[in-house]
Amino acid sequence: MFILAYRVVKFALQNFWRNIWLSLITVSMLVLTLLSVNVLIMLNAVGQKAIAYVEDRVEVSVYFNADVTDEKVADAAGYLQGLSQVRNVGIITADEALDKFKTRHAADTAILQSLDEIDGNPFGPTLVIKAQDVDAYPFILDALDNPQFRDDIREKDFTSYEEIISRIESTTERIRLFGLGLSLTFLLIAILIVFNTVRIAIFIHREEIGIMKLVGASNGFVRAPFLLESIIYGALATGIVAALMYPTVAFLEPKFDLYFDGQSTGLVSYFVENGWIIFGGQFLVLSLINVLSTMVAMRKYLKV
Amino acid sequence: MIHIKNVSKVYPPNITALNDVSLHIRPGEFVSIVGQSGTGKTTLAKMMFAEERPSKGRVIIGGWDITDIRDNDVPLLRRQIGVVFQDFKLLPKKTVFENVAFALEVAGVGPRRIREVVPQVLRIVNLQEKVGRYPRQLSGGEQQRVVIARSLVHRPKILVADEPTGNLDTIHTHEIIDLLKKINEFGTTVVLVTHNREVVNGLHKRVITLEDGQIVSDVEEGRYKL
Repeated sequence: MFILAYRVVKFALQNFWRNIWLSLITVSMLVLTLLSVNVLIMLNAVGQKAIAYVEDRVEVSVYFNADVTDEKVADAAGYLQGLSQVRNVGIITADEALDKFKTRHAADTAILQSLDEIDGNPFGPTLVIKAQDVDAYPFILDALDNPQFRDDIREKDFTSYEEIISRIESTTERIRLFGLGLSLTFLLIAILIVFNTVRIAIFIHREEIGIMKLVGASNGFVRAPFLLESIIYGALATGIVAALMYPTVAFLEPKFDLYFDGQSTGLVSYFVENGWIIFGGQFLVLSLINVLSTMVAMRKYLKV
Repeated sequence: MIHIKNVSKVYPPNITALNDVSLHIRPGEFVSIVGQSGTGKTTLAKMMFAEERPSKGRVIIGGWDITDIRDNDVPLLRRQIGVVFQDFKLLPKKTVFENVAFALEVAGVGPRRIREVVPQVLRIVNLQEKVGRYPRQLSGGEQQRVVIARSLVHRPKILVADEPTGNLDTIHTHEIIDLLKKINEFGTTVVLVTHNREVVNGLHKRVITLEDGQIVSDVEEGRYKL
C-alpha cells in the first residue's frame, strides 16, 4: 500500500513536471482566483474596521442648565451608567466647559471679550455618553426624557454618523459584491483550465495509460496521479498566495492606519491569527473543486 | 485453460467481427490463430484479456468466466495474462529495465522484488546486456523482446501475442518465434495471432483458421491454408 502511494505521488509529480508550462498556467490562474478572494477578505476587514472606527466616535452630549448642581449631574451620570446599553459616561463640569471654550477660542478676542461681559460662567455641566451599540442611542435619548432630569437639560446633541456608517456599509457591500463576482469569474475560468489541463495530460499520457492498463494497473492507480496532481495545483497556488499576502498586508497596513488616526487596522495580526483558517480553508475548497473538475475530465476522457 | 463458447461480436451499427465461435485451448498448448485481415483474429485475442467483451456467448479463462467481468477485476486478469502487440507499446522515455519494471511497479510490487525479477526475465529474452538502453537504441526485434520480457514479469500462465512479428524482418521474426517456443516449453500457453505463412508452417503446432468471423479449420500440427 505504501509503495503504491509512493508511486502515485511519483507519477503525479512526473505529470506535473513533464507538462511544466501547462502546470504553471493552471497554478497562475488559481493564484489569481485566490488573490481576488484574499483582497476581498482584506477589504472586508478594513471596511469592518472603518465602521467600528466611526461607531466609536458616535456619542450624545447632554448639556445641563447652568444652575444645575454637580450632584444632580452625578445622579444623572449614575442613572445612565446603570443602563446596559451605555458603555461610558463622561462628566464635563461647568468650569471645565468654560476652560475648553476659552482654549478653543483663544485667538478670537471678540468672543473672549463678550464672555467677560457676561457675569459668571454661562456654561452648565455636560455629560458625554457612549453607547455599547450604535442602535442603542434612540433608547438612551428616550431615557433622558425621564422627568427627574428633563427640566434640567438645556440641549441634547446627537452626532448620528448614521449616514456615514450606511455609506461605508453600502460601499463595503458593493466592493464585496464586485469582489465576489470577480472571484467567481476567476474560479469558473480556473475550473475550465484545470479541466483542460487534465484533458491534455490524459491525451499526452494516453500511451502510458494504455500500457498501464495492459500490464494490470488498477483503475484507481491510473486515476490517482491525476487527482493528486490537481491537489498539488491547489496546494501550490495556496502557498504562493499566502507568501504574497503576508508582505502585501504588512506593506498596506500602515497606509490604512493613516485613515484611522494611526489606530492599527490589525490586518497583519488578523491574517496571522486566522492564517490556518483562511488559507487552509481556501486550500480545501480549491482542492475539492479541482478534484471534482478532474473527475469530470477523467470520466469524459479517461477510459479505464 | 481457454474456453470460448459460441462467441459472437457485433460492432455498431451492424458489423459482425465474430460469429458463433467456439474453441478450447488446453494448458501448455501453442496455438496459432490465422486468417486474412479483418477476419476477427485480433477481436478474438482481445477477448482473452477482456479488452473486448462478446456480444453473445461466454469466455472462460482458467476456470474464470470473464464474459461479464467487472472493470475492477480486469487488472487482476491482466496480471495473469501476458500480452504482446505488433506495435511494441514501449515507453520511449524509459530504459529497457524501467519498461519491464513498469509492469511490476503499477501492480504495487516492492523494489527488492523488482530488482530480482527484471534481470531474470531479461536473461530469458537475452537482453541482460542492454538494460540501460532506451527503445530508440534497440532494433525492432530487441524492442519486441523487451515487450515479451515485460509480459513475463507476472509469470503468466497464458501469453497472447497479436502479430508480434508484423513489424520485423525475417531474422528478427525467427528470434521472436524461437523465444515464444522457449516460453511455451516452460509451460506457458501461447496464443499467437498472425498472418505470416512461413511462421505458421514452421511451427508444426495447432492452427485455427478464421474466415469472415468464423472458424473454418482447427488442426493439430496444422499449416497456413489461405
